[in-house]
This record gives sequence, C-alpha cells and structure tokens, in this order.
Amino acid sequence: MSLKTLIKSGFMLEIYFYKNNRAAFLAMFLWPYLMLALILGMGYFFGSPGAFKQNVQMDVDPVIYYVASTLVAMSALDVMWGVGGNIMWYRWSGTLPYILLSPNRTSTTLIFSYIPRYLLGAFIQLAEFMPLIIIIEGFSSGLMKIGVLVLAITVGMIPLLGFSALFASFLITIEEETNVLSWLNPLILLFSGAFYPAYLLPYWARFISQILPTTYTVELARVAAIIGAPKLAPITFFIGILLGIALVYNFLAYLFMGYGEKKAMERGAI
Amino acid sequence: MDKAIIVKNLTKSYVTYLRKGLFKREKKIVHALKGISFDVKKGEVFGLLGPNGAGKTTTVKILSTLLLPDGGEARVLGYDVVKEAAKVRKVIGVSLSVEKGFFWKLTGRENLIYFGMLYGLNGEYLKNRVEELLELVGLKQLEVGDKLYEEYSLGMKARLSLARALLIDPQLVILDEPTLGLDPPSARMLREMLVKIAHKEGKTVLITTHNMFEAEIVCDRVAIINEGEIIALDTVEGLKQRVADNMSLEIFAFLPAEVPQETLLLKLRETTGHPSSIFAENGGYRVKVVVPPGNVDEITAKALRVLHEHKCSVRRVEIREPTLEDVFIKLTGKTGF
Repeated sequence: MSLKTLIKSGFMLEIYFYKNNRAAFLAMFLWPYLMLALILGMGYFFGSPGAFKQNVQMDVDPVIYYVASTLVAMSALDVMWGVGGNIMWYRWSGTLPYILLSPNRTSTTLIFSYIPRYLLGAFIQLAEFMPLIIIIEGFSSGLMKIGVLVLAITVGMIPLLGFSALFASFLITIEEETNVLSWLNPLILLFSGAFYPAYLLPYWARFISQILPTTYTVELARVAAIIGAPKLAPITFFIGILLGIALVYNFLAYLFMGYGEKKAMERGAI
Repeated sequence: MDKAIIVKNLTKSYVTYLRKGLFKREKKIVHALKGISFDVKKGEVFGLLGPNGAGKTTTVKILSTLLLPDGGEARVLGYDVVKEAAKVRKVIGVSLSVEKGFFWKLTGRENLIYFGMLYGLNGEYLKNRVEELLELVGLKQLEVGDKLYEEYSLGMKARLSLARALLIDPQLVILDEPTLGLDPPSARMLREMLVKIAHKEGKTVLITTHNMFEAEIVCDRVAIINEGEIIALDTVEGLKQRVADNMSLEIFAFLPAEVPQETLLLKLRETTGHPSSIFAENGGYRVKVVVPPGNVDEITAKALRVLHEHKCSVRRVEIREPTLEDVFIKLTGKTGF
C-alpha cells in the first residue's frame, strides 16, 4: 500500500469531518484569533509593549511575537494530540483494531494519515494571520516572516511527528486510559519557551528544553518576530537542528511503536 | 491446501488486577485458552459456540493478528498469525463489534471509503466496491448510505460492520458475535447474508456466537468452547447425534379433572414403554415423552391413543429434535448460557 493512499485517507477523513461538523469548522477559524486576543489582552492588561521588549530582551513586536508563538504552539499541540492522542481516541471509539488491521506499521499509519490534518489546520491558521502580519510588517517584510513561519510549521512538524509517535507507543502500552498528554502538553510548551523565553528557565529545565523539538520551532517563530527582515543564519541553524532531531525521534518512534504495539497485543489491550 | 485456518494447542492467559481498597490490588491470572486445536476448511461457515468468557473473542483476536498467543500455533490461509501478521491482514476481513468501530461524524459511505483507503484501496475500484457492498448489506436499499453513523440503528451498524469486513474482498471473514443485540429481522437478514457470502461467493466465514439457534442455521461445523477448551467439534448434525436419545414427543392437551395425573403417566409408560412427564402450561398440560429416534411415529400413535382413552382434549403435538442447547447441556452439565 502506498503512502500516497495513506495520506489521501487522512485528507478525506478531515474533509468528511469538517463537512459534517460545521461548528467544528467554524471553531477552527475562530480559535487562533480567540487565543491571540486572550494572550494579547492579558499582556496589555499587565504591561506595555515596551515592558515586554525589555523583559524578553529582544527587539520584537509583541503582536507578531504572539502570532508566531500562537501559531507554533497550536501546531505543536495539534501534532501531539493528533498523533499521540489519537491512540486514545481510536481506542475509545473502538476504531483502533481496524486501524491496526491496516497492512502498514501502526506508526506509519498514525503519522502519514495524520499529516494532511496537520497541514490543513496549520496552513489555514497561518492564512488567517497573514493579513495581520502584512498590515503590521508591510508587504515584503511580512511575506518573509510568513515564509519563516511556513518553515517553522512544516520542518517543525517532522521531529514532532516522531516525538508524538513515541507518546503514542507509550499510550498504547499503558493499561489505564490515562490521558497523559493533557498534563504533558502544557509542560512541553512551557519548557520549549512558547509561553516564557526558555533561556530564562532554571538550568535543569533548560536541559529538557534542549532535547525538545518544540524549542527549535519556537525559536524559529521568534526569529520571525524580530523587527526587520529575518536573518538567514539563525533560520538555517534551527532548521538543521530540527532535521537532526527529526532523524532521532522518528527512528526511536519506529522502534518503540513496534514495541508498544507488541506489548499491547500481548496484554490484550487492543 | 484446503484449510483456511489451522489452530494447534493455542494458549493465552491474561493478567488482571482486582482492586482491594484505594492502593492495594490483587493479581489474578485468567487462562482464557487452555490449548485449543481446530481447523476450518476453505469455503465453510465455522462457528465457535460458547458462553460469555469461554474464549471465543480471544481466539478471534489471535486469528485477526490483534492479540499475541502465549503458546501454540495458528495459521490463517497458510500464514503464521504471529510471524506473518502483515500477510494475514491482507487476506482477512474482521468485525469485532457491531455497535462501534466507526467514526460517528462520518456517514456510512464515508466510513467505508476511509477504511478502504486505509486498507490500500483507491480510485474507481474503491468507489465501486463501496457501492457494491452498501447494496449487498442492504444499506443502499434503506437509503442510509449518506446518513451519519451516529444516527444508525444497531441493525444498520451491524450491516456496515459486515460491509467493512468485506471491503478488501477477503478470502476469510472473521465475525465476532455478528448478531449480538440485533432485533430478530435484522439478525435473520445478517445470517442469510453470511450464508450467501460463504456459499455463493466462496469465502470462508468464522463466526463466534453464544446463540445456539444461530449456530444451527448458519454453520457447517461448530466447535463448542467452554472455559478455554474445545469440548466438541463436529457438524451440527454430528453434534446433535450425540444427544439423539434426547428426542422428545410433546403433546399439549386439556386433561379432565377426574383423571389423576399419576394414572395417566403410568398408562403412558405401560403403553409406549418410555418414561413420561406432565407439566401445567397455559391452563392445560404438556405431556412429554422421551423417545428414541427410530420409532417416533409408533410411539406418537400409542401416546395419542392413551390420551384419547382418558378423554383428554389434544390441542398440539410436537416432535422436538435435539438442539445444540441439548448438546451443550450434556457436554458441560450446565443448563444454558
């Protein structure tokens, strides 16, 4: 079975889902701006843009910074839920055995059938923010920043897929239906510097931050938020790191998903 | 090779934990399969019949490559279910539950298209296959192919589940309790479909059921499984032969008040040569005579003559042949599922 068909199956699933759920479709459009409004509202309530720049010690526009962070954070959350959390969802809905009966490895099915959903969601959100970025930054600088964000959400997705599949292998193995991701996701975002710059975190937390793929997507988002045209050197640096981490996490996911599946099949958890 | 499934000494145990208060729990090992062996011929409908917890679903999950056995061997269409699981998945269609296993916010047709793609089907072939299956299971005739799955009745869900099991045109169809919870018309239709799939389309069908009537009318051969062991395996007729002496003549009649039941029973015993019993039922009485299969007609005539002589008003006569239920009761000593 070709990966193309698997990707297409994921795409069709999303199209069908949104076609039959107009409220969910509407929510998908509203959610990024609601999130942004909440964060910015809180920010302006507690301090000025100047105070913000002083705190993060960078010459950034707070609106662009939060647009970029919101986009990256939501995309990262989406991958974590989409790949890791889907195991739980499939188990609850009773579809897990039929997904596993697909003639692919579970990790392959989970990852490749999810990619269209991620791309649809992330790019719709980015498209929503485009007018705002262009209004604030101007056309050419705005387009360049959008380009960096496209890189952040596409290249950033690759290690996250493997990273999330690792959690999927854990979730498929554990006996209880504990939703580990619900408390793990905020922690990962915190350690990645999505809410608070990672370099201001304690030393031990910075170590965790270094091994998380989300850290580097957040850094890319920050590069996009710096006032003026984005520089090429930090972009290639972070993309290089992301691709390297992608190799490690996807390889680990490939190994552990098989192990998780075997353990679940031994225990009768499917 | 004429065997679709070969199972040898299959064993499986589960570890379960019994909660003992907030923090303590007690480990318990459940031996779900205790070394079962059987085979299924190509093209036959084979039934695994047994009560809840007998080991039917465990067997089905192992054969579907969704559960690893502890010991023994299972081969499906020549492939080992553990070592060649991917090959097995390409030749089987599975339905594990009739009431779930689909996306609730997708229509029946969309669900089939999605799973078809997941199983490697594509393009026009997939489109045509889905339409063909919707028609085969009767969902097209009911005009519910474009209805959301969450709005389906249990009968419709069962049909859709069967359609998914047939998506890849599998050589072997494995169905776990395919009629569980269905109303009688839906269950009947599904049973007819199973027989059609096996006999007209030449597929092998393995079903599990605790419904003895279903096993009798659908299966070519039946394995009775109880507490993780196969206690009998034969054709339905072959199994019934094991309790052929259980054939009974049942006469529903109104007895005159002046005729004591003891006198009537004695006379029946003398005339027919076989023990009889009388049960009160619906204002009248059911007279039951156990008869050997050879001379049913003669004994029936004798029993009716006795009742006539005692001025009993006969309303109905039934010759009750042994059922799988009788077989199960005889083999296990239990009175039913």
